[in-house]
Amino acid sequence: MAIIERPAPAPSRLVGAPPRVTADTSYGVFRRPVETTGWRSWLFTVDHKKIGIMYGVAAFAFFVIGGLEALLIRAQLAGPDGTLLSASVYNQMFTMHATSMVFLFAMPMAAAFGNYFLPLQIGARDVAFPRLNAFGFWCFLAGAIFVNLSWFLGGAADGGWFMYAPNSSVPFSPTHGIDFWGLGLQITGIASLTGAINLIVTVLNMRTKGMSLMRMPVLTWMVLVIQFLLLFAIPVITVALFLLMFQRIFGATFFSVADGADPLLWQHLFWIFGHPEVYILVLPSFGIVSEVLPVFSKKPLFGYPFVVFSGAAIGFVGWGVWAHHMFASGIGPVSVMVFSIATMAIAVPTGVKIINWTLTMWGGKLKFTTAMLFAIGLVVQFTLGGLSGVTHAVAPSDTQQTDTYYIVAHFHYVLFGGAVLGFFAGFYYWWPKVFGKCLDERLGKINFWLMSIGMNLTFGPMHIIGLQGQPRRMYVWTEARAGEGFFNMGFWNLVASIGAFTIAVGVLLFIFNVVKTTRSAPPAPLDPWDARTLEWMTTSPPKAHNFDALPEVHALDEFFHRKYEDVGEEGHHDLRRVATAEEILAGEEAKGDHHIHLPSPSYWPMVLAFSLPVVAIGVIYAPVVAIIGAVFALLAMFGWALEPAVADESDYEPPADDAPGTELATVGSSE
Amino acid sequence: MPRVPAASSSSRRLIALGAAVAASMLIAGCAKDAPQDTWDPAGPNAQKIHDLQWPVFAIAGLVGVIVMGVIIYVVVRYRDRGQPIPEQTHGKPALEIGLTILPALILIGVAVPTVGTLLALSKTDDTECVVNVTGQQWWWEIDYPPQAGCGGIDRALITSGQMVIPTGTKVLVRGTSRDVIHSWWIPRLNGKRDMVPGRVQTVRLEADEPGIYAGQCTEFCGLSHANMRMEVVALSPEDFATWLANQTAEYTAPEESSLAADGEAVFLSQCASCHQVDGLLTADGAPAIAAPETRVYAGAAPNLTHLMSRNTFAGATFDLLTSSCREAVWEASPEEFGAAYLAGVTPACLNSVDLREWLRNAPEKKPMYADPTELEATDFLTRGMPYLALSEEQIDQLVAYLLERQ
Amino acid sequence: MFTTGSKLLFGGGTVAAVGAVLYGVLVAGALGTVGLTFAAAVLWLLGGISAVTRDANVSSMDVDALHYTAAAAPAPSASMWPAVGALGVVLLAVGLVTYQVVVVFGLIALVAAGAEWMVQAWSERVSDDAGRNAGIRGRLAHPLEFPVLAAVGVAVLVYSFSRIMLVLSKTGGPVAFGLIALAVLVAGFIVAVKPTLKTGMIGAVAAVGALGLVAGGIASALEGERDIEVHETTGGLAEHGECATAEETHADENASQSVAAKANVTGEVTLRSDGTLVARSLGIAGTADSIVVTRNNPTNILFRNDSDEARRLVLDAGLRYEDPTDTSSEQVPAQHCTALVEKGGTQLLTFTIANTSAAQDAPMTFSIPGLDAASVEVVVP
Repeated sequence: MAIIERPAPAPSRLVGAPPRVTADTSYGVFRRPVETTGWRSWLFTVDHKKIGIMYGVAAFAFFVIGGLEALLIRAQLAGPDGTLLSASVYNQMFTMHATSMVFLFAMPMAAAFGNYFLPLQIGARDVAFPRLNAFGFWCFLAGAIFVNLSWFLGGAADGGWFMYAPNSSVPFSPTHGIDFWGLGLQITGIASLTGAINLIVTVLNMRTKGMSLMRMPVLTWMVLVIQFLLLFAIPVITVALFLLMFQRIFGATFFSVADGADPLLWQHLFWIFGHPEVYILVLPSFGIVSEVLPVFSKKPLFGYPFVVFSGAAIGFVGWGVWAHHMFASGIGPVSVMVFSIATMAIAVPTGVKIINWTLTMWGGKLKFTTAMLFAIGLVVQFTLGGLSGVTHAVAPSDTQQTDTYYIVAHFHYVLFGGAVLGFFAGFYYWWPKVFGKCLDERLGKINFWLMSIGMNLTFGPMHIIGLQGQPRRMYVWTEARAGEGFFNMGFWNLVASIGAFTIAVGVLLFIFNVVKTTRSAPPAPLDPWDARTLEWMTTSPPKAHNFDALPEVHALDEFFHRKYEDVGEEGHHDLRRVATAEEILAGEEAKGDHHIHLPSPSYWPMVLAFSLPVVAIGVIYAPVVAIIGAVFALLAMFGWALEPAVADESDYEPPADDAPGTELATVGSSE
Repeated sequence: MPRVPAASSSSRRLIALGAAVAASMLIAGCAKDAPQDTWDPAGPNAQKIHDLQWPVFAIAGLVGVIVMGVIIYVVVRYRDRGQPIPEQTHGKPALEIGLTILPALILIGVAVPTVGTLLALSKTDDTECVVNVTGQQWWWEIDYPPQAGCGGIDRALITSGQMVIPTGTKVLVRGTSRDVIHSWWIPRLNGKRDMVPGRVQTVRLEADEPGIYAGQCTEFCGLSHANMRMEVVALSPEDFATWLANQTAEYTAPEESSLAADGEAVFLSQCASCHQVDGLLTADGAPAIAAPETRVYAGAAPNLTHLMSRNTFAGATFDLLTSSCREAVWEASPEEFGAAYLAGVTPACLNSVDLREWLRNAPEKKPMYADPTELEATDFLTRGMPYLALSEEQIDQLVAYLLERQ
Repeated sequence: MFTTGSKLLFGGGTVAAVGAVLYGVLVAGALGTVGLTFAAAVLWLLGGISAVTRDANVSSMDVDALHYTAAAAPAPSASMWPAVGALGVVLLAVGLVTYQVVVVFGLIALVAAGAEWMVQAWSERVSDDAGRNAGIRGRLAHPLEFPVLAAVGVAVLVYSFSRIMLVLSKTGGPVAFGLIALAVLVAGFIVAVKPTLKTGMIGAVAAVGALGLVAGGIASALEGERDIEVHETTGGLAEHGECATAEETHADENASQSVAAKANVTGEVTLRSDGTLVARSLGIAGTADSIVVTRNNPTNILFRNDSDEARRLVLDAGLRYEDPTDTSSEQVPAQHCTALVEKGGTQLLTFTIANTSAAQDAPMTFSIPGLDAASVEVVVP
């Protein structure tokens, strides 16, 4: 976008004609970013791969932050009447632990995998709306930082991540913590919504030739399903947060009982969002596991259509079970009955997946790499979590279990054992593709066992203490309620705390593994795992434009079928390797297009994204600041809309001395 | 190719892990006598839940064991031993449909008794006694409406922290809240029910035998959610009648110029604006009527008329009994329990440590929003008891006075 | 390094800095020092920006500058924005001493003039092709101008219409409404039926119509609203202690006769056809003649009228303090009531009782004015 013009350096002035001053030239500090290397290439990128990596790094940072919050909680609860955290700080701690893990780690990490691999897996060069993609990331980062600012500005939100009314209203939560929480989540919600629109359009419109919907890899399918879930769920939480913010900031009475409101309104709104949300958290990991298991079993996924349809069924039925979070809220026996039965129903498609994964491994040739260990770990732990879930689908039973540590155990088994183990499987599986090096396998296995054992030590005993009557969200527990004997609630609380620190050691080991690999590991081969899907048909890391020639797809697991041919006779299958990954890649490169146009980087998404927290700060403290932020947002929207997708030739300074930083990003290059 | 260690050691480790998990689950059953143990029902409602719960757990456990078993088998049997690339089976629809229908049938089998139990637990037309409960940050108010049930109650009674009920009686708890959502949960007697402001929700309670049954607020309600507890005390119908008579007994003023009489004066000046003691008269002989709505945001404070007939205070967080006396009550056998409880808090059994600390500085002892400089959001009304700056002498007098509130 | 444009700013900043030092040392005034320091900082910043972007860079050594300075560019074209800006300033000044609303109009004119003037000045220097300039200006400014103008235009028309509606009487309003709607319909019909009508003519007629509407609106606004009655509500009756009347009051007109589903109310109070009042509490079997209500807790009671006449339910809760948080304020009767409920109707009553029954001299009751036998005691423990 030309903001400040300069005259063209044309020699026409020497013949007396007035110089031509054109609109396309720009000058000064605000020129369009065009770098392909260096920190500027990350800051202004619209490349889905770089955005995916940034999502991953940011999400992992919040995983660590959320983990630290959890460690503090467990340290406080390791013994009776703990004094490490005061009641007020503890309430903030568990609220922010859940918020960080759900909104700032799990959702963006799913976005990381989706952003990086979805275009590659469907044979596209980028997503449908690259600048919108960048906007989504910066919005998420801005919102995430904004929510955490509250720690330094009077105290973080302390109403629980579920933020029930009327406890969330100003008389009961007087600090600004909840304001930061609500507005910050609105901002990250914008990120999720734009990402959803982006990926849905990409999948529906940009699949390569021959890639029908039922030939897409399962990761792509699961990511697609959650984008639809996000599309419909995020507006619900947006409405709920609007009502809450209007009540807190402008004195509305949506949840004010004295004015005739019913506090259950918030619960319904939140859980109509909240239940699809948990499927949003776990389905991408299901997708990852559905990629990893077949590769390391040397067999295709058993029952691909069943896995796909059960994913869609989970997404669909997930909308009809929200009030199972409200069995004790007094919604009446008829509603309780209906939701109880619906919740039991949703166990069926989940069971289908477990069965299919197990049958994928059955009769296979199992190679226990770290990624495979994590994937099997997910199958085991999620089964345990799912079974405890069935026990609380039984509503009368749930009235004893809800709001106790039994529920904490259940959802940590499905979220940690499900989502987190899945993400780690994805890390170890795709690291060589994304970064060109394999993570150390030995360290990886120790990482796996530490995390698995730690997880079971932490959350296994929580089933027990929950059934023994320890409620959740309590900053202390007492000896008086802990029961007699050695194996009383006190013992299991201590075990849980030890387990939490074990997990922490495992995570540290992963970080160490990453550092060690980055420093000193040798480059990885193109196809270290003998994989099956299209993203492996690229260089490691993939070129900026992904594929030199968009591949033509003839079957599910296209890459595998290009490498192996069935030379057996009737009824007898005999797979022979006919091509290596390198040969296939060379073949594709030979057919490469020569005129590939990629969208150019831009800073408008970032400017727009960071104007939003300015508006939010203004809403909380001073309306003037909100107006300033809104003006910036308006300017950014204009700048974005008027900026062409591809930068003009004249935006590039002639390189001073062949410096690499200014090469045109519009031509397929070898980076 | 990355190095892959011998598969057998991984599977061995997997089996070891599985065994460890299973063993710990078994040990679970050995934890004894947790007062809020959901698997130790003491009344027909909790028993119905338990009768539904343990078969479901057993089925889930069995399914879990089968699935783990299959996975362990697969992991051991099909590990890479150098075999050729296996058959690329894409699926067996018949098998899959069968394995989908099987869990569905199991779940239907679970659903039917679920519905039955649910309906049984929602019955209110066979109620024999009604007790009202009102949650407030961070204590429970309990009141008994006039009714024919519970052996006949002529006038409304009000107490806090401990709900006394006759054994073998179908009690219906009708509950609400004055401020945020709380939840009433006595695990050994029934599941929990949220107490929502502006709504009245009901939950059934029935205890088989005399005893004291512990409970906790189980819906996050703010700062001292962990310190909001309650107990249900079940007495035999005869003992319950005694308790009722005691609760309706007239106020006995303390003896002239005793420590308790001074305590009464201190109470009138420091406490009576919020805490109601029925029968207490002001200096001019008029009944002292508490007006807690002028000091407390939610508008109520515990009624202290018969404080020493209960044995906990401050949201049942602290004991009024010393630990040996407490043990005598909590560990009493069902036959002896009634007498032990009805004895109340005698001077010998008074736990004056906690009571004094509370009177000295309540917000220090239990986190509450009582700091006068930070109450703008609630129109300068507190949530909880404020710091009163009482002298030690005043505390002595108050304790003596309160001790007489039997 | 120092472009012409930046010299003034740097110079000014330096002077301000020197001034700040001198002021601080000699006069030792905090406000002035701070002000001058900030001025220096701001001026230096602007100077820096100017230098970096080489704005307004004119050098006597730069022969070519002659050709691409502002002076060499084509002259700016005519513009109404200076006039609008001037108008804005005048309105602002006038409004400050007369009506506040005029200040608002002045500010709007100033902001609009400022923005449009800037955009026009910029677009004229973008290139030397006036047509292209206009296109670029349009691309930048139309997305803002059209929506804003449309919104403002529609707002003005709607507001004028609303003022007209408010000044006419209750019967005159619908007549005027109908006539204007008819006029719009007729105009639309003519436009549709005669496609050869000149756009200029349609535009003129529409402009005349809009002008008429706005003129009517201004006239009506100056005239003021017609007399609009304020409806009494049952809350108002309760405030004044006038609840206990069986007569129809203003508050009863158009009162709702039914309740949308309201779950988990505390209880139901029903007026039976035999003239007795009974209470049913949630969870308690059968009816009773008393109901227990928790103190200081917003409580919902459903009133059902099964008798033959329209009746009102009144809650007499003794006395309350005029200022609920001040025990020294006056004591006034505490009453709540529903509106008159017709036969078979229901209404919800939400109330809070501050005092216990023990604190009152007489029992608190639900009663029906006009039916002495109908009474339910309210017990507040």
